[in-house]
Amino acid sequence: MENKDIKVQVKNLTKSFGDLLVLDDISFEIKKGEFVCIVGPTGCGKSTFLNLLTRLIPATKGEILLDGEPADPQKHSISFVFQEPSAFDWLTVQQNIEYGLKIKKRPPEEIKAQTDKIIQLLGLEEWREVYPKDLSVSMEQRVVIGRAFAVNPDLLLMDEPYGQMDIKMRYYLEDEVIRLWKATGSTVLFITHNLEEAVYLAERVLILSNKPAKLKAQIQVDLPRPRNVSDPKFIEIRKEITDMIKWW
Amino acid sequence: MDREKRKYDYLLILLSIAILLGAWIIFSQMNPKVFPTPLAAWERLVKLVERPVMKISIWGHIGISLQRVLIALAVATVLGVAFGLVTGWCPRIKAAFNPLFVALRPIPPIAWIPLIILWFGIGEFPKVLLVFIGAFFPIAQNTMAGVEMVDDMYLKVGKIYKANTWNMLRHIVFPASMPAIMAGIKISLSSGWMVVVAAEMLASKSGLGFLIIRGQESFDIALVLVGMVLIGLIGAAFSIVFTFIERWICPWMTK
Repeated sequence: MENKDIKVQVKNLTKSFGDLLVLDDISFEIKKGEFVCIVGPTGCGKSTFLNLLTRLIPATKGEILLDGEPADPQKHSISFVFQEPSAFDWLTVQQNIEYGLKIKKRPPEEIKAQTDKIIQLLGLEEWREVYPKDLSVSMEQRVVIGRAFAVNPDLLLMDEPYGQMDIKMRYYLEDEVIRLWKATGSTVLFITHNLEEAVYLAERVLILSNKPAKLKAQIQVDLPRPRNVSDPKFIEIRKEITDMIKWW
Repeated sequence: MDREKRKYDYLLILLSIAILLGAWIIFSQMNPKVFPTPLAAWERLVKLVERPVMKISIWGHIGISLQRVLIALAVATVLGVAFGLVTGWCPRIKAAFNPLFVALRPIPPIAWIPLIILWFGIGEFPKVLLVFIGAFFPIAQNTMAGVEMVDDMYLKVGKIYKANTWNMLRHIVFPASMPAIMAGIKISLSSGWMVVVAAEMLASKSGLGFLIIRGQESFDIALVLVGMVLIGLIGAAFSIVFTFIERWICPWMTK
């Protein structure tokens, strides 16, 4: 991996709350435009890890570099999609997608072009003027994901965004997020406890251990897209990851 | 189905008005001198339209009362929302002002009348000030509560998109608190209307409250009833108009 291609460097990241060690000396790198999934047992500190990356909470030790500089929300563009839909109730679908662009004071023509592009990619043309209260949970989450991609973030963090969806909706949304990722070229770090989802989406899967979480392994997923969950190679990779989790 | 339901609702409204009028007619038969009939009240209203009281037409009296309420309500909304936003957002400012706020809030606006007359006389300003006192507290209180209840998730989204404090307040906290703010304004509208009538009854030569007192002093009970009915009708109109304004300002709140 050439240094110029590296977008994110996480070095010896450690987090403890008082005496409770949650994350223990985690180091890895993410290339520009890469789609990385993080899997790990429930309660291993995945969400804490994302909160550290956004600087919503400070790290106890270690550093996070974006483009070689210490990650700074004031300087770098980091987007976050929470598990629960977080569309603003008082904004329409279009206004929600524009929100980040407006806050970042992008030129009006860029706001319009980018919003139109995202709305078209999401197939939400008919829903532009609709408020979140009139949307289903999955539809609202799609708007939130659109809002996150719209700002062309340096790094997009997604914390189990499809955790509340049924299987059919998940497949649909997983394809959609891949479409958005390809169209925008964003670097994505996606947290999930669903191993099939991780193998379906990721170019690389990082596996965290039980608390205190350490980086257990990294698995490269070199399958062509669209991926087929019944492809023997797909099943083999999923089994490899499952066995690692079973090992705990 | 919807049309049928609406028709049914209208019928119920007409029925409740009919019951009220029926009760009025029955009770007024007992002693029409102290409780004039609806017809007598209507005739008094017609006379009031034709002959001004204190050289002010009935429309003038209504207009003066409305003006007092709306000026006070506008000022109370601006100051109450600003106060509620700042105290709800900043715990230190709340710690400084809340004890004073909590102590002043339960004092009924009417209890201020002696002091306000003493300090400011009986002109327009003291009446507007009284209505302001009645309207300010519900708006400030509701705004403060609305700000404190803003979903933490929204604030996190704001932080992630690097919204500064001004953007956070303007684009997230203020709209997220709108349901509570609107509820506060609604309460203030009716309490402001009550206070203006009380203020006009005590020290005024104009307004609907003055008409009621004028009726009492001259034993013109029909005038008292006309004043009361007008107050009720205008209060109800306020409520309907406000519902439309609310739908216009906060379309996302429409059920």
